[in-house]
Amino acid sequence: MRKFFTLFSKYNTYLLFVIYCGTAFFFIKLQNENVLTRLRNSGMEFSAVINEKLLSITYLFTLNNENERLMRVNTDLLTRVLNFETAAFDERNRRKILTDTTLNPSGYIIARVVDRKFSDRDNMLLINAGWKNGIQKDMTVLVPEGLVGRVTSVSEHYAKVMPVINTDFKASVVSDSSNCMGILSWSGGREFIAQIEHIPISSHLKLNERMVTSDFSTFSVRGIPVGRVVRIKPDKLFFNVDVWLAVDFSSLTQVLIAPLKIEPEKIRISTDSTLAEQFH
Amino acid sequence: MTKAFSLSLIILCIASALLQEFGLTRLMLYNVSPDAITVFLAFLAVSAGQRASTSFGFAVGIFTGILSGNMGLNMLSRTVEGFIAGYFHIPEDSHATAKQKKRRFFSAVVFAGFIGNAVFAAGYNPLGLSTAYRVVVLGLLESFITLILAVILHWLFLKKSLVD
Repeated sequence: MRKFFTLFSKYNTYLLFVIYCGTAFFFIKLQNENVLTRLRNSGMEFSAVINEKLLSITYLFTLNNENERLMRVNTDLLTRVLNFETAAFDERNRRKILTDTTLNPSGYIIARVVDRKFSDRDNMLLINAGWKNGIQKDMTVLVPEGLVGRVTSVSEHYAKVMPVINTDFKASVVSDSSNCMGILSWSGGREFIAQIEHIPISSHLKLNERMVTSDFSTFSVRGIPVGRVVRIKPDKLFFNVDVWLAVDFSSLTQVLIAPLKIEPEKIRISTDSTLAEQFH
Repeated sequence: MTKAFSLSLIILCIASALLQEFGLTRLMLYNVSPDAITVFLAFLAVSAGQRASTSFGFAVGIFTGILSGNMGLNMLSRTVEGFIAGYFHIPEDSHATAKQKKRRFFSAVVFAGFIGNAVFAAGYNPLGLSTAYRVVVLGLLESFITLILAVILHWLFLKKSLVD
């Protein structure tokens, strides 16, 4: 026992270090638990308030109200354009017209980007709209030019957005002319170039084709522009495709948040194999 | 450690964390920014020892973790930073010259910063950079600009404290 205490007092710094590291690993493991999420949200809220105050100093010299008015006009125009494009797309493919009720102008929420971190330690946007404004996790964030990202966590007045230019981001996209489908992802590097995976080499994708979000996406409404194809390189089974992103992430100040796409039946049937078998 | 010294360390700890979160993260150079917390931990390690710097590293990790939303990894990397910096501690009865103390402080900043950055890089890579580039190139760059910050802070505030 005495030996143990001697050993403890001699190496207590190392023991302390091990305990701290153990606690840190425990927290890494618990990253998505409820208590931790609440704690993170409070921290995010505090961080966002400070950042917003710091940022608002620069807004003193800008035409803020005018910007917001123009953004509202843009929202209406964007909604109309998206509606028309979706309708035309449906017509070409002999599908039903205007089945997508998610493109309702009153459903869009306008928010301002209050913080943006693009570094080797963090890569996210913070917007000044939270669950009090109707924001929910997994809502699509966009601007009139195209897709920005998806909401990953929400606090009372703020929400954290994972941008397209994050290595964890994935979205299902489709070409507006050749109908080639793929998965949009970003593998790092330049913030204006993203990649599209899983486009088979048998497809007829061409340069400069416009890519938009597809109906397959679990979170995004369809028809939101994503970018333009700038490089196609064949691999063994699939093309390596680069797209020039439609959104300029370096000058993002205001964004729109689209209503949540609620398709419980679609999610249920795609995840539950037994349900599908019942219909056979 | 006197009560006044402990209190000033806690204030310094909070100040450096706030400065880091709301100020220095905006001073970007090739996606990295100087790290005031590393400078604080190095100063603490040199003057107060490894146990204090490890504990403060852990505490500051919780604080910055809450603010950034990546708690566990921040706690781990800051604890490791404090622990590594602790190897550069100068005992109170040491006869080290001011120049030697300064050299140990700067070494603590560079080593702790580099290893802390490597730990963070191992757990989180939001820009999808290659591990070698992320750890070696950006790690060295971050250590270098943190060293510049340490030199400035040493020249402005810490010189007297280190000599004492």
